[in-house]
Amino acid sequence: MASVSEMYDVGWEEMRDKLRKWREDNSRNSEQIVDVGEELINEHSSKLGDDIWIIYEQVMIAALDCSRDDLAHTCLQELRRQFPDSHRVKRLTGMRLEALERYDDANKHYDAILKDDPTNTAARKRKISILKALGKSAEAIRELNEYLEQFVGDQEAWHELSELYINEHDYGKAAFCLEELMMTNPHNHLYCEQYAEVKYTQGGLENLELSRKYFAQALRLNNRNMRALFGFYMSASHIAASPKVSAKVKKDNMKYAAWAATQINKAYRLAGRGTKENKCSVKAVEEMLESMQITMS
Amino acid sequence: MGEVELSCRAYVKMYLHACLFPRVSINGLLLSSSPAGGAVYVTDCVPLLHSHLSLAPVTQLALTQVDVWCSQTQQRIVGYYQANACASDSSPTPCATRIADKIAEQFENAVLLMLDGSKMSPDYRVPPIVMYERKDSRWILKDKHTIMLRQWEETRDIAGQMLESGDHALLVDFDSHLDDITRDWTNQKLNAKIAELASPANGSI
Repeated sequence: MASVSEMYDVGWEEMRDKLRKWREDNSRNSEQIVDVGEELINEHSSKLGDDIWIIYEQVMIAALDCSRDDLAHTCLQELRRQFPDSHRVKRLTGMRLEALERYDDANKHYDAILKDDPTNTAARKRKISILKALGKSAEAIRELNEYLEQFVGDQEAWHELSELYINEHDYGKAAFCLEELMMTNPHNHLYCEQYAEVKYTQGGLENLELSRKYFAQALRLNNRNMRALFGFYMSASHIAASPKVSAKVKKDNMKYAAWAATQINKAYRLAGRGTKENKCSVKAVEEMLESMQITMS
Repeated sequence: MGEVELSCRAYVKMYLHACLFPRVSINGLLLSSSPAGGAVYVTDCVPLLHSHLSLAPVTQLALTQVDVWCSQTQQRIVGYYQANACASDSSPTPCATRIADKIAEQFENAVLLMLDGSKMSPDYRVPPIVMYERKDSRWILKDKHTIMLRQWEETRDIAGQMLESGDHALLVDFDSHLDDITRDWTNQKLNAKIAELASPANGSI
């Protein structure tokens, strides 16, 4: 196979910078990381200076993702030699065992880290992800709740917990986690939109009203969020169609739905300009909006 | 329920969908353009989600839009497929059966396919699919011999070949469509590519 540098005509500095960018963005594009990283390690390791260590770590995790145990093992050995007592390297050893599905052995490594340093959050999170991998959702949820009692500011953990609750159809608790996230990140439209989706799923007039409001808020924060726009349209249509609401509420919600329908049409017209590729889905949207309007009136 | 046959296009797209998002659960709809009655012939599929499978709004939206598109193109929704995030788990989740129930309301012989992540290697002998059918309002495991993939080896090789050359990146599911509505979930480009690869192997797909 042709090397990355030949294929894209790039030097080792560019490859190094690319890897750094991916690290900073927290990208999980493991296949690319392996392609670029492996070549960098094999052919340019002497030029990389101290950057090499973090690259070993990055490439190793990506290699586990692509089930390239050979590469992961090489990286890990280099890191072990350089940092024999490091918790961070010990955690990587555990992750490799996880990839080999040796969960008990992995847990032993994490327990050893935690014995030394009970506040090592990374090791605790690994232990929770093992529970997840084993399909033990209930235990993962319990552990994560305990974890959050100690580290209440950990956003990533709140988000993970909300996902676990969503998977378990425990929408009330998922909503609570998302409320927590919205409080700390009031300007994040994705949390708003997700909260609205959860409320919509819970159903009932009160929840639908709430979901419409949060879809609206998500749109205010980012007017290009199509999920929120469709969600706003759907929640407003449902409320308008409900026999329980007053004439005024019905009228208001029909107005909201009509506004959203116009926006959706506009977005699709803009997107469709110059391309023929998405004409099928555009037609589907148009007809859907028409048919939903008929049922509302 | 009679036999179920899967087209090359439907299988390859399902397979690539699962490969594109190996770490999460994915789902989609199975379509048929052949007349109702007799064996179910799944001619195509629409990849739907790769996040929050159990949240209602996007699923509802996708079902409505696919339904509209189907009536425009003389197709019907005949089933549902899902691959679970956990590769060793190929049992249908409550969310899978709920959506499949909805489809069964419209199409009596609806099928529910689960992709078996542990068997998705490129040289596997039989399709890595577990099929469920609805009996007395419950979904039960169906005998594996009743799912038919004409020329399985060719189909498997096409899927493997496309994965190798990175064509799975072309696949657009409804989720990605909502992130960028210029991308089309009917996957015309990918369909053309599958047809191209399939044509020497078998005259029709």
